[in-house]
Amino acid sequence: MGSVLGQTALLTLTGLRSLAHRRIAALVTVISVTTVVGVLVSLLAIREGTNVFQPGSAGADEAVVLSRGASSSIESALSREEFTAIAQAPGVEKGADGRPDAYALAIVPVDALRRDGRRGTVNLMGFTVGWQRVDGGVKVLAGRLYRPALRELIVSEPLRKMYQGLDIGDHITLRGTQWTVVGVFTSSDALADGALCADAETVMSAFGRNTFSQADVRLASPAAFKVFADSLERNPAVAVEVKTLAQQFEQNFGSLRRFLTFISYFIGCVMASGAVCGALNSLYASVDSRQREIATLRAVGFNALPIIASVLIESTLLVLPGAILGTLVAWGLFNGNAIDTDSVVFKLRVTPHLLAVSVWWALAIGLIGGSLPALRAARRPVASALRAS
Amino acid sequence: MKYLSLVWAGMWRRRGRTVLMLVQLVSAFALFGVLQGADSGIKQVLASLHGNRLYITSRVAVGDPLPVGLLTRIRSLPGVRAVTPRAVFVGTYRRPDQRVPVIAADVEPFFRIYDELSVAPRGAVQALKSARAGAIVGQGLITRYGWKIGDRFTLQSPLAKRDGSRDWEFDVVGVYGGPENSRGTPPSTAVVVNFDYVNEARATGADRADMFLASVRDAKEAGVVSLAIDNAFANSDHETRTQSESDFLTTQMQKTVDLDFIVRAVVAAVFFALLLATGLLMMQSLRERTPELAVLKTLGFSDRRLFALILAESITLCVLGAAIGLAVGAALLSQARPLVGVTRMPAIVAAAGMGCAVLIAFIAGAAPAVHGSRLQVADALAVR
Repeated sequence: MGSVLGQTALLTLTGLRSLAHRRIAALVTVISVTTVVGVLVSLLAIREGTNVFQPGSAGADEAVVLSRGASSSIESALSREEFTAIAQAPGVEKGADGRPDAYALAIVPVDALRRDGRRGTVNLMGFTVGWQRVDGGVKVLAGRLYRPALRELIVSEPLRKMYQGLDIGDHITLRGTQWTVVGVFTSSDALADGALCADAETVMSAFGRNTFSQADVRLASPAAFKVFADSLERNPAVAVEVKTLAQQFEQNFGSLRRFLTFISYFIGCVMASGAVCGALNSLYASVDSRQREIATLRAVGFNALPIIASVLIESTLLVLPGAILGTLVAWGLFNGNAIDTDSVVFKLRVTPHLLAVSVWWALAIGLIGGSLPALRAARRPVASALRAS
Repeated sequence: MKYLSLVWAGMWRRRGRTVLMLVQLVSAFALFGVLQGADSGIKQVLASLHGNRLYITSRVAVGDPLPVGLLTRIRSLPGVRAVTPRAVFVGTYRRPDQRVPVIAADVEPFFRIYDELSVAPRGAVQALKSARAGAIVGQGLITRYGWKIGDRFTLQSPLAKRDGSRDWEFDVVGVYGGPENSRGTPPSTAVVVNFDYVNEARATGADRADMFLASVRDAKEAGVVSLAIDNAFANSDHETRTQSESDFLTTQMQKTVDLDFIVRAVVAAVFFALLLATGLLMMQSLRERTPELAVLKTLGFSDRRLFALILAESITLCVLGAAIGLAVGAALLSQARPLVGVTRMPAIVAAAGMGCAVLIAFIAGAAPAVHGSRLQVADALAVR
């Protein structure tokens, strides 16, 4: 039965040739799939953007320390003594000079004006000296690093693009004191990558604080986490909670990600149900306009399988361009756009994974939309189909 | 009206296709209803907030401490009815996940500002003023932890006390209850305590509040009073930003997700696809019915009447689909209450949806209607 393949190919070709007569219907199918996929991919791109905060295997040896009971770094307060105890706890990696790989940061949310004129909140982070040792990914792109004791700060690249007055040499006034932007940087630590960074003591004295918000340490090995966490939890001099980077990620972004996933797939499902109906309409029209031709072929011995297969192939060929077009549109419009939520900046990312998602969705729309017309074509009694006008 | 049956019959000429088209319309308008409904519902909630309530924060950033010394000046400004400092910290009850927000404030003005909160027993606010370590606790905590008036409870907090301890003890002197799901009002799972007590006991941040709350005598004066407060501290070390409750909460919420933009973009995409699909359907349907239209013309239907007939069919279809879709959307929205906190679809959204439906029907039906009304009877009848 090599002829099944031959018959399928033949039927598909005649179907596609008649597409010219139904070009508007076909175009509408393509466009409706494009909009479904475009919207779905754009929404999922927001969620994909938060993935950069997800620590990969590289971050497995880093731990984060907040004060006990604090649900975020903003709420947390660590005294200088507590930071010393954290840095000296067992399990912390030590550098060649014998100093522990640990740093503390003080986070102060500050008001800033976006380029579009709206007000937004950004984090001013003050780092102790260990920052660049632990976070090896800090790179100054332009200008230079801030100097301690001077009110100088460096700004992350996405933030500079989003807000006004953050170019090198600009002065920002925060509570009557001027800060100077001296550099633009990027960091592999995604939280810092959406912030203004300066020296910890300078920030704390400027804002009247004497506690840090959070401490980060590099552990000797991922396995050392338990030793490190246990020793701090047992130490009566400190009241802290120890988390891995992954746990902190879940706490910071878990609910946002679940919300985005729900919204994306909810909107996607509703739109897809509309697109399935559109595809059904279009393919029913295709099958109906060819019913005499199909009936003739069945009368001369073509069987049902190639007929069904050819309709499904046609529907697949209609939806695939929609999937790719939709992903391209989403990519062109939104990829790399920075958005900020709760003073965390991240970029929308249209990834190959999302292209795969969009192709799956389009295939599902095409197969569901094609199956019923295919069955109708294969099932209609030959005699009545031939008699139809 | 007498043509209604004709319109109806024309619409259902191919039942399967019309049903599919209706499903497309219903899904599009259900989505419109849910998204736009949630969006404007939230805006309406915000607009209905108490217009006479002001939130005074540091101009540097919300949550940046303000010295309580500023209060005297604010209190003396004309139009200000009551003002209190507010410092919030989060304590945990017996287990780390039993989080209890503690609101430290001058209790008497606090409950005058939040006058929608009812405090029991009578005189509890006065009692709290004299009981330094007292607390008026939310109804929700009473039910959750079974506290009674006179009980003492201990909360652990990252906020250290002067004696080095992080245990905060409070005595229950009263209970407050208030409207649920109102965004401006403190939740019923918080406790309200004396600012002075917390201020003296804590090791850091003395004489500083994370914000001030105020109410004005007349909501109409809120704008003037806000400006007067901010002007009083302009160019000082502690510049303030005073906002009405709705402005304050809008900026807080916009930070999370730019809902407006998402809603507009999705709705535009959905309606664009819908417009094409409806237009296609009308075109297909008319092509098949060309001979029938010619018959109608032969029977004496004028061009204009035929035009109206076709347009009426398109409008009926869209309005029917939109009505069902918006009803589905309203039902979904009431299910999503815990997620968005909005229960009913605002009437304006339903009206806007119907407006969009008619607009889509006009655009989609216009070309087929023009085409149909211009038919030449002889040619049209000649089509098989």
